[in-house]
Amino acid sequence: MRGLLLRLEPLIWGLFGGGMFVGALLLPAWCLVAGVLLPLGLLPAAEFPILWEHLYYQLSQPLGRAVAWSAVALPLWAGAHQARHLVTDFGGLRWDGLVGGLCYAAAALGSLLAAFAVLAL
Amino acid sequence: MAPPRPPDRFPAGPRYRSYLLFGMGSALMLPLGFELLCALWALASGDAAWREFQAGLRHPLRIAGHAVAGVWLTWVALRFFRLFPKTQPFRLGPFRRPPDWLLVGGLYGVFAAASLALGLWLAGRIGGLG
Repeated sequence: MRGLLLRLEPLIWGLFGGGMFVGALLLPAWCLVAGVLLPLGLLPAAEFPILWEHLYYQLSQPLGRAVAWSAVALPLWAGAHQARHLVTDFGGLRWDGLVGGLCYAAAALGSLLAAFAVLAL
Repeated sequence: MAPPRPPDRFPAGPRYRSYLLFGMGSALMLPLGFELLCALWALASGDAAWREFQAGLRHPLRIAGHAVAGVWLTWVALRFFRLFPKTQPFRLGPFRRPPDWLLVGGLYGVFAAASLALGLWLAGRIGGLG
């Protein structure tokens, strides 16, 4: 498994770099607005629950689908890569093949499901 | 050949703390990515599923988790953008790399604008992508 991960390293690094960028741009606002401010009613005159039509209409456009897939799939790869390296930092390389394989399999599965979801929009 | 060993004073040494906090904060993107996947799936499944997903966001533990993750990821994002110039070559083709303050300031500006736009969009104040 480690040999395969080494061969895939350039691809994984590209997805990781893109994921860090997209995740750093979008996830703090998602957490703080959709996860804290809106449920607590701290944004005046804001709708919560967020209207389905509002998001559905925009995310079902071609650009919206691309943005939605990127916002979901790329941070999965960034998180998977960082989780793998955290395990390596604390546990050495002994389990790297298994942990890396599991992390990237989770990210790949999530990316695939995100593709199905945006196609279903 | 001897197996690799962690450096002295790892992980408690002060120089490793921010490195590990950054790594752990970035690893949060994995569960949060799956949360976004659930949101997208609910959105694609219709109004009822979308309302059910959002009802889950009202749980106090999830609100607390999002508050911690939001602050942590904001710090991760600012550190990521601050470190960005160090990853770039000194020359980009025939041009010299812009000064670090310009790159970092630009990225901070993009981060602030993206956060504001996403927040306003989620709050239903602006239209968006359509």
